[in-house]
Amino acid sequence: MNKEISSILKSVSKPGRYSGGEYGQIIKDKNSVKARFAFCFPDTYEIGMSNLGMRILYGVLNEQEDVWCERVYTPWVDMQEKMKEYDLPLTACESGDELREFDMIGFTLQYEMSYTNVLNMLELAKLPLRSSERDDSMPIVIGGGPCAYNPEPVADFFDLFNIGEGEEMLPELCRLYIQMKEEGRYTKEAYLHEAARTITGIYVPSLYDVSYNDDGTIKAYAPKYDDIPTKVTKRIMTDMDRSYFPSKVVMPYIETVHDRIMLEVFRGCIRGCRFCQAGIIYRPVREKSPEVLNDQAKCLFESTGYDEISLTSLSISDYTELEALTEQLLEWTDDNKVSLSLPSLRVDSFTKELMDKIASVRSSSLTFAPEAGTQRLRDVINKNVREEDLMRAVGVAFAAGKNTVKLYFMNGLPTETYEDIKGIATLAEHVIDAYYKCPERNRSQKPQVTISVSCFIPKPFTPFQWEAQDSMETLAEKQEFLRTQITDRKIRYTYHDARVSRVEAVLARGDRRLAAALELACREGFKFDAWDECFDYDRWISVFERCGIDPAFYANRAFGLDEVLPWDIIDCGVTKEFLRRERDKAYAENTTPHCREKCSGCGANKLGGEKTCCPKIAK
Amino acid sequence: MLPENSKINEMARLKKLQKIDPPRNIRLKFRKVGSLQYTSHLDLQRTFNRVIVRACIPVWYTKGFNPHIKLVFSTPLSVGAQSECEYLDIKIDREMSCGEIMERLNHELTEELCITDVYYPIDDFSEIGYAEYDMKIHTVGNSEKMAEDIKKILITSPLMLTKRTKAGDKEIDIIPLIKSIDVRYSSDEDTVNINTVLRASATEFLNPEMLVTALKNSLGILSTDLSKEWYEIVRKEIFKEDMAVFR
Repeated sequence: MNKEISSILKSVSKPGRYSGGEYGQIIKDKNSVKARFAFCFPDTYEIGMSNLGMRILYGVLNEQEDVWCERVYTPWVDMQEKMKEYDLPLTACESGDELREFDMIGFTLQYEMSYTNVLNMLELAKLPLRSSERDDSMPIVIGGGPCAYNPEPVADFFDLFNIGEGEEMLPELCRLYIQMKEEGRYTKEAYLHEAARTITGIYVPSLYDVSYNDDGTIKAYAPKYDDIPTKVTKRIMTDMDRSYFPSKVVMPYIETVHDRIMLEVFRGCIRGCRFCQAGIIYRPVREKSPEVLNDQAKCLFESTGYDEISLTSLSISDYTELEALTEQLLEWTDDNKVSLSLPSLRVDSFTKELMDKIASVRSSSLTFAPEAGTQRLRDVINKNVREEDLMRAVGVAFAAGKNTVKLYFMNGLPTETYEDIKGIATLAEHVIDAYYKCPERNRSQKPQVTISVSCFIPKPFTPFQWEAQDSMETLAEKQEFLRTQITDRKIRYTYHDARVSRVEAVLARGDRRLAAALELACREGFKFDAWDECFDYDRWISVFERCGIDPAFYANRAFGLDEVLPWDIIDCGVTKEFLRRERDKAYAENTTPHCREKCSGCGANKLGGEKTCCPKIAK
Repeated sequence: MLPENSKINEMARLKKLQKIDPPRNIRLKFRKVGSLQYTSHLDLQRTFNRVIVRACIPVWYTKGFNPHIKLVFSTPLSVGAQSECEYLDIKIDREMSCGEIMERLNHELTEELCITDVYYPIDDFSEIGYAEYDMKIHTVGNSEKMAEDIKKILITSPLMLTKRTKAGDKEIDIIPLIKSIDVRYSSDEDTVNINTVLRASATEFLNPEMLVTALKNSLGILSTDLSKEWYEIVRKEIFKEDMAVFR
């Protein structure tokens, strides 16, 4: 570490974020590799280091001998002030080299509110924000992750996007880059065209023209060449058992958000809750076999020494071989003082047996997500959970000595009435009642139920993608109404800031015209908008106004069912017809069975996949 | 030596060995330098927990509801200071030689955090009286004169500074807590080099950062251009009350 930066590190909070030198980091000789990749997570070190996708892709890229992938995170506000004062550029963790020296810079787009950090990082790297302003000598800027499914609001800043899973796509992009450089035919333009033409899942926004109707909606997307796809199909790893999974990880010295082994059990979700984007874009469901998972877990335990394994997947209790897996794991985890944790539990599958296996969960609290307060609304959103299921689940938890339960809900869901909101309070009261009815309860403690209510945000590629978000005034009224409905002091009530949700809705359903606003926001120093202490709604509105953008057009307008959507350029496997059918069923208050019960023909099976529950279709 | 195939198998093998009762104390002497100077005490604790597991050390776990590895560290080291002589006591309940423990641990560590000695403890942490530090200060306009100025400040009593304690802030004279001090200018790196022995007992402890604070206050150095001025602190040795080297 150079001494010049040491004084600066001594003057900022949490210097361990920037010092590097972690056990397990990958160091290569920069002069002998052929491509250098800076993998950027546009948030703090503690959050980025916890991301499983980044752990996987860091490993995948570094498997390539001639590619060196390094990590980059967003420096916190105090560090950025120092960097500005002393004119220090943004650097990568491993080498300490500045980003301009890299061949490729990849950003993972995990949430819309991190967009300002992406631009902020490009600015700190002293690179032009817009793709069109970066020449052949500058790094290729790549975007990926869940928000890339509607890449349009940030399309002007990226050279290309990875749509879908990156385990194969990223190495292919590197190979193409190295090949074109070696053959002396590399220009940025030629590279982008070649990538779009030959690699499935690559979207190069500059190769598509967008035209608009008079009413501001999109008229059409037109590819500039006829040898590139008219719709970019997402990429998946078909066989998860054979898909790369890291056998070691970089070990942070400072505490991170998920400081444990994360074992990805399967991709996708069989459920199809109608507000949930993840439940659609990661389809089809592909499971790993318990033997493979057990080997991967052992391997990671031995290389990390972590004392906790988190089984991570969208709805973990839907894993068909959960019992076999936990049994295999428990054969060695107990002896080695390793505990298992399950982050996502559905109330209908929460059983005594399951809880005994995760008994080492030290916290006394359990979290469930009924999402809506009445059966009617739960049917609308296809959250196939009944009040009886919740009561049974909390009963199991209380009988085991737990006394606190956290419940997640959403305000502003389509068709929501005040009756539904009142239902949230009623449900919480019923949980309290269940505590006192439980004979085995912990009599020395009082029950506590926390209800945490977020605001519905219509997301691309969901049956609710066309819906209007409630106005902020309506959301505020609903939040206030719910407060008046809660009389029991054993119920704690928290809710999300509707102003953040509104900006998130704009960015989630936006199109390319938002680039001007994001650029202005960056110039005005916006960063860490996912952090309450940094988010400033009035400044966002001012930015939108000055760029001639009406946030209501994106957030509070019901999109036309036949309208060309900004994300229509992407094919996520699930058809628009399926989403339309699901929307109709929502309004009819009809539920849809989950994938294993009955195939609803979402279309994702055209992508293939092993260990899936989808019916095979002829290729 | 080190388990080749599976550490889980190795742990199972160790478990079958004769149990040592009561568990045996083992002292680890380690280095914490470079990037690791920014790792806090709590983070270091967590790190060692994992390192010990990775290294398959037959460590003793506390009894009770939530068994954990017992780690006892010696004198605290503040974030931003490096050290060549940190001590950590662990307990093992299966036989393993000190040499093997050291080799296994170092296999799981980096140059910046590594074990330099492993032995059965001789002295008790409560016997620690003093710690020796090397400090390097680089300022704009460094010279022999600067070294003299610095020395003068650090030997002239009273040198009152605010010390943060659990009971609140307290004004203290730090000079009586400085056992010895040597200040020289070195042209190699254009630095003023300080070698000093400071009080480091459980009841009287002087953080070397306090010396830097005193210099910042009196000379106005190390506070303006952080990109040109820097300092480093390295703990070199720990002594008992009688100035014998702590073992």
